[in-house]
Amino acid sequence: MKRFGRLLLALLRELADENAYRRHLEWHGRAHSGAEWRRFSEERLRAKYARGKCC
Amino acid sequence: MKLLRVLFWAAVAAVAAGCLGGVALYRGEHINSMWLVLAAAASYATGYRFYAKFIAARVMTLNDQRATPAERLRNGHDFEPTNKWIVFGHHFAAIAGPGPLVGPVLAAQFGYLPGTLWIIIGAVLGGAVQDFVILFASMRRDGKSLGQMAREEIGRVGGFVALVTVLLIMTILLAVVGLVVVNALKGSPWGAFTIAATMPIALLMGLYLRYWRPGRVLEISAIGFVLVMAGIFAGERIAQSATAAPWFTLSAMALAVGIILYGFLASALPVWLLLAPRDYLSTFVKLGVVLMLGVGILFVRPELQLPAFTRFVDGTGPIFAGKVFPFCFITIACGAISGFHSLISSGTTPKMIARESHARPVGYGSMLLESFVAIMAMIAACVLQPGVYFAVNSPGGVVGATPAVAVATISSWGFPVSTAEMAALARDVGETTLFSRTGGAPSLALGMAHIFASSGGGRALVGFWYHFAIMFEALFILTIIDAGTRVGRFMLQDLLGHAWAPLGRTSWMPGVWLTSALIVGAWGYFLVQGVRDPLGGINSLWPLFGIANQLLAAIALCVATTILLKMHGAKFMWIPCAPLVWLVTVTFTAGWQKILSPVPAIGFLAQADRLAAGAQTAATATLVFNARLDAVVCAVLMALVAVILADSLRVWVGILSGAAEARVREAPFELSRLQVEEL
Repeated sequence: MKRFGRLLLALLRELADENAYRRHLEWHGRAHSGAEWRRFSEERLRAKYARGKCC
Repeated sequence: MKLLRVLFWAAVAAVAAGCLGGVALYRGEHINSMWLVLAAAASYATGYRFYAKFIAARVMTLNDQRATPAERLRNGHDFEPTNKWIVFGHHFAAIAGPGPLVGPVLAAQFGYLPGTLWIIIGAVLGGAVQDFVILFASMRRDGKSLGQMAREEIGRVGGFVALVTVLLIMTILLAVVGLVVVNALKGSPWGAFTIAATMPIALLMGLYLRYWRPGRVLEISAIGFVLVMAGIFAGERIAQSATAAPWFTLSAMALAVGIILYGFLASALPVWLLLAPRDYLSTFVKLGVVLMLGVGILFVRPELQLPAFTRFVDGTGPIFAGKVFPFCFITIACGAISGFHSLISSGTTPKMIARESHARPVGYGSMLLESFVAIMAMIAACVLQPGVYFAVNSPGGVVGATPAVAVATISSWGFPVSTAEMAALARDVGETTLFSRTGGAPSLALGMAHIFASSGGGRALVGFWYHFAIMFEALFILTIIDAGTRVGRFMLQDLLGHAWAPLGRTSWMPGVWLTSALIVGAWGYFLVQGVRDPLGGINSLWPLFGIANQLLAAIALCVATTILLKMHGAKFMWIPCAPLVWLVTVTFTAGWQKILSPVPAIGFLAQADRLAAGAQTAATATLVFNARLDAVVCAVLMALVAVILADSLRVWVGILSGAAEARVREAPFELSRLQVEEL
């Protein structure tokens, strides 16, 4: 049950791009800040909305 | 142990066969929805265990020793090895849209049986195979897109045709889903207020994420969800207020104009402000509602009120005209097989797969779950009394504009319904009328409200659940509209940038406004056309969308067939080729009939001729033009796919005769070094 809960939370974080942000910080060796989030978010959303949503 | 396993799977297969047979052959008064649930679940399990495993082991030879692009090209952004269940959820959230919900509701006019069989069999043998093979092919080719693979495997023509088809499909798709929202919200102050309230909520979420609590997406999504729920409760008060209700009681045309303006703004405004926060919220609500609906159906186990077959299999249906073959198979696209999925299977997903064997649960398994959503939508539609179902879904132009005429027409078909019954139902859900609320969304919301209210809360909460379901459908349809408009704008800017460089720059606002206006104008035209159509628009636009979507699936299956042919010769090409032959037969028959059928309710040209022969007004001239335009769009789609089919056949014949080289363009083998703890 605990494992399922952890997996569910991880899925929600993935869908919310929070995991991708964590990976971004780790990859670039940077700390979280408002400016860093905005930089990440702009890049991420630009790529995300260059693809259509499924019907 | 092995014997136990054999016995278990023999039992599952027997349940699948027994339930499918039971559903198909039972002709009693009513059938319980559990028959459909069991038939679907056991068929999916059998297909996944045997067919998908066979494809994975013998055809694809999936190898966990082989490093995937997520590992080889890992960059902390797109390419990232991810836990298979997280990729599964991510992929499912990306492929699940309104299609599997609306299509089955519309196809229920033939009865529950044709649509149910198509959803189950189509998904196991067609849709899931397409998604799985395309995901595999993209995974072995560094995450390449369908267009890139079509260009490399078939030729330049294939790549270009895939691009144009996607643009056309998106135009029709955005118009048709916009029309679904319009028909759900027209004359409904409660619904219109709830959806209007999501706009400032999304703006608040955008600002919160950008400036106040950057990065806290889950936190603000939870706050946004609470605010949306508060909006549904407030909507009831608004609908009851003599002062406020008229402000939110909107005509179909006013709503269409509102949606067009919204599409333009969402495309031109910064993505973080409106589109992204709405998308986050919509994704979570969508997954939650799908789960709730599944639990609700299992808890209530409702009986289906619609028969297995209705008289409308003969093509005289009021919701859309045309016989069960081919129209059932294009009306239900996404729940059985959807070309659009191939874009997702060759998009983000292949870049996240950590082990090759994960492609089976993600590619094949996600499609089975989507198919199950379609089964739930079919159940939600079929729990309604048939008379109510047809009164809600039939346009006034077919059954009669007044309630008295409409109930008389519908009752004469053998589906009794009364004005008092419809008035009581409308009162229960807080609407003034439920007649001719075409598009599928209102009847799905009614069915869902019935199931949710029966699970808890009773009749007193039917109104809340109805508007909750409408909010859920409209929320993610609007997300598709704004994201689709934006994507179309990017494609157009890319294209026009070759003619004049500034038009291609996404930072040059006049170019952004112009291309946004062009894209919005294209789908907006079809949306307004649907609103003006006396038959409700769904009759012409949904089949057009279904044909377009299935034609994209035909392109994906051409790519899949070519790849398997290059890998194994003719030995396994039947796997994607069998659904391809079926789809080509269905879509070309449907396309042919939509253009050339002499029955005006079916054929666009016959409809135009009949209108042209009547009294001539400006409105008639527009309808004539629209019918001819629909015929041209349909013909263009068919011609595009005929081109790619011919191109594919040329490649296949070349390979089979030995005249052409069967070069497999996979990335070279590299040994995986991923550790278990990284997954």
